[in-house]
Parts: sequence; structure tokens; C-alpha cells
Amino acid sequence: MSELIVQGVSRTFPGVRGGKPVQALQPTDLEIAENDFVTVLGPSGCGKSTLLRIIAGLDQPTAGKVILDGKEIKGPGADRGMVFQSYTLFPWLTVRENVAFGLRERGIQAASSKEIVDNYIDKVGLRGFEDHWPKQLSGGMQQRTAIARALANDPKILLLDEPFGALDNQTRGLMQELLLGIWEREQKTVIFVTHDIEEAVFMASRVVTMTARPGRIKSITPVDIPHPRHYTVKASPEFSRLRLQLTEEIRSEAILAASS
Amino acid sequence: MRPLQPISPQARVLLGILFFVLFFAGWGLATLGGFVSPTFLADPITMVKDGIYLLTEQGFLGDIGMTVWRVVGGFVLSAIVAVPVGIAMGAYKPVEALLEPFVSFSRYLPASAFVPLLILWAGIGEMQKLLVIFIGSVFQIILMVAVSVAATRRDLVEAAYTLGARDGGIVRRVLIPASAPDIAETLRLVLGWAWTYVIVAELIGASSGIGYMIINSQALMATGQIIFGIIVIGIIGLISDFAFKTTNRHLFAWRFA
Repeated sequence: MSELIVQGVSRTFPGVRGGKPVQALQPTDLEIAENDFVTVLGPSGCGKSTLLRIIAGLDQPTAGKVILDGKEIKGPGADRGMVFQSYTLFPWLTVRENVAFGLRERGIQAASSKEIVDNYIDKVGLRGFEDHWPKQLSGGMQQRTAIARALANDPKILLLDEPFGALDNQTRGLMQELLLGIWEREQKTVIFVTHDIEEAVFMASRVVTMTARPGRIKSITPVDIPHPRHYTVKASPEFSRLRLQLTEEIRSEAILAASS
Repeated sequence: MRPLQPISPQARVLLGILFFVLFFAGWGLATLGGFVSPTFLADPITMVKDGIYLLTEQGFLGDIGMTVWRVVGGFVLSAIVAVPVGIAMGAYKPVEALLEPFVSFSRYLPASAFVPLLILWAGIGEMQKLLVIFIGSVFQIILMVAVSVAATRRDLVEAAYTLGARDGGIVRRVLIPASAPDIAETLRLVLGWAWTYVIVAELIGASSGIGYMIINSQALMATGQIIFGIIVIGIIGLISDFAFKTTNRHLFAWRFA
């Protein structure tokens, strides 16, 4: 049974200063089952972030609707946790307070949320940093905290918008393993937007590729590499085959995007 | 000297003191050296003597107390009114559209020009002094607070929404804490301006306060006393500024970490 249904969702941004309206997303249909890990892959400006923001409720579709568990999404809510590409920890709160933000917003006091919060701080490997402010953390640590903050809220779906885009290559690899490890143990529906092909294949059960602007879904590729996945699968023939196939698909779109 | 090259804390303090020394030396040279007539400008030694006379014989400490009380009173009153209004304006666009034009207009109304009107309305008592400071400060604070709140990073607001925050929670748990350091900085700035308003209020129709002493000294041609009064205001300003900065650094340690 599909948990999340995207039905004919499109988005057109009004023209700026009398300019022409820009269509970012063509009518798009997508169904995502419970505990699926879907990565959305596409060149910059293909509308993949727009699609994610519409699912999060941070943006409204021009047409179509998004249905979660049979209910149409009208706005943002705690059932869809999100991790952004920019560092969005609240700088005035410590790591622990950041992770507890959603719980506190639901009226759960610090004393009773402590166990949940500590558990997720452990899971992202930040024990010992609970009382640090975001400013005192590296980029990777900040994104780990952001993941813990989203998960501590126990959302139905975790949305990630190029969460590791600003990190260096090595840190990014470690973060992928960390997130995948958490997903393998906890089972959660995840939509992960990226422009990195290797990342998309490594993390996903299914890779959704998108065309250049105005974006629409070009293909959906299942990734049948068994779990738990170790980083060495990146060197396997199956992985290489998928990477090559997706590179071909994305390449033509990237050329289109670059020339427009 | 290289552009933007930092200097040691000791050098910073020493250089800061050095300029005060140079200033007093230049002043002493001009007055004690006989280049400027004592009728127009007292020398530093006379100033200190006048200051001791004021403090010991004239009960000047009481005047200082009155002025400090007025500044703090008027400033706290305007902060109590202005900070919530500013937050509402920064957070809610219809409130901003309603108030912003009027507040921007009122901001340019000179507080000192209200003194005659305020004497008519409120007499020459304490209420009149508080109102001068209030009019001078309240619109400035409202506008600057509104700008700080409205400048809150949009992605933090969005993150809070995806964590389940409602509209009230966004204001209380994102907009206010995010802009609190800037609001505190605004208050620090405006407190400095409040000092100029209180002296203006005391120059006309007062019977106590530093401004009252200054206008009295003018009648006596006691330039040493006037300068002492001005310097006292400067020192109190320096102290309150330092206290504000230290408190802010303590309250908003996350920003300085």
C-alpha cells in the first residue's frame, strides 16, 4: 500500500517584475510505499527540491495534490520531518535542545523527552557534544544533529534536500553510511533529493530521475543491492552498472539544463 | 599597519587610554598655556575643583541620581511599549503595513520640539521628562526591533514548521530568540540617545538634574562646572554601555561561542 501519493502535482512560479511565469515542475505522479527509500536525482533547477518542498508543505502546488495516509497535505507538519541543505539548527539552542525542539513543541517536557533525545544523539554519534552550540560544531556534525532532530520527532516520512551537499567528499561518504545504517535498523519512509549519482544509488531502494526544467519524472530505477550495504558495494559490478545507466540518463538532461 | 590585522588586548586598552590622555593634554595646553580665555573654556584643573565643589557643597550627586532615574524610567517605559509592538510588526505583515508608515513619520519628529507642548500637557514635573524620553525613544525602538525580527533567517522558520511548530510557536520559539541579540543591541543604542533627550528636557523647566545644573552654571559663567557635568554624562554612558555589552555577551553566549 502506498503511504505517500503525489497526484498531478505541478508548480509554476509567477514571473518576476513582469517577466514570464516559470514552470519548475510539470504535472508529476509518484507513489511511495511505507519504508521505501527513494532518492530523487536530477540536474540543478530540475524542480526536485520544489517537489520535496511541496511534499513538506512549505510550498503549494499550482495544480494537483499530495496525499499522505489518505489525507491531503495542506501545510507543513510534524509527520514530515525535513533536513535541509543549509545548516538550519537553531543557533541559540544546544545540540540537546535542538534535538528536543519538536518534542517540546508538542508539549513534552525536557525530563520526559530526555530518553528519546539521548537515544538519537547516540545514534548520530554526538554523545559528548550535547551541550555544544551549533556554532561550535563542524558542518558534518551539524547535519547529523539535524537528522537526529528530524528523527526524534518520529515523522512518518523523512525528507532530505541535498543534506550532504555542502560537505567534503569523505565526510559525505561517512554521513551516507550513517543515515543508511539508521534506516536499515529503524525502517522509515525516506525521500532523499540529490544531484550526486553515486549517493543516489548507494542510498536508494528506488532512484527517481528527473528531466531538466520544467522537471518531470524521467525514469524510476529499482536498486536491488541487498542490505545491509557496506561502502564497498560502491565497487561492485552491479553498482557500476547502475551508476553508468543513471549517468547516461542524467547526462542528456544536464546538457539540456546547461544550454538553456 | 595591515588592514584588518588584529591587535593584542593590552595594546587595545593602552591605545584607548592613550587618546584620552592626548585629549586632556591638548585641552590643558590650550587653556593653561593661555591660548584660550578662561571665560570661554575652563582648564582641566578648574574643572576638577568645580567638580569636587559640586559634589561636596551643592549636592550634585542628587542631581545625577535624578537624571539617571529619569533616563532609566523613560527608557524602560518606551522599551515595554516598543519591543512587543516591534515584534508584532516584524512577525505579522498586516501589522507592519498598518503601523510602519506612521512610525517612520513619527521617528523624525524631534523629541526636543515637544518640550513646550509637553510642559503645557504635563506641567514641569517628572511626567514631562519621562514623556520627552519616551517620545524620543519609542518609535526608534519599534522600527529597529521590527527590522531585526523580520530579518530572521527564513530557513530556520521553515525548519521549525517541519518540526511541527504552529504560528504562535514560530514567534515565541524562533523569531524572538533569533532576534533577541539584535533587540538587546537596539536597546543599548537607544539608551545612549535617551541621554541627549533627558538633558534637553532638563535644560527647560527643571529644578534638578544634570541639565538643570548645566543651565544654572551658564548663568554663573562657570564653564568648569558645565564641562564637569558633560563629562559625568559621558562616564555614566560609558558605564551603562559596558554593563549592557557584558550582559548581552552573557545572555547571548551562543553568538559569541
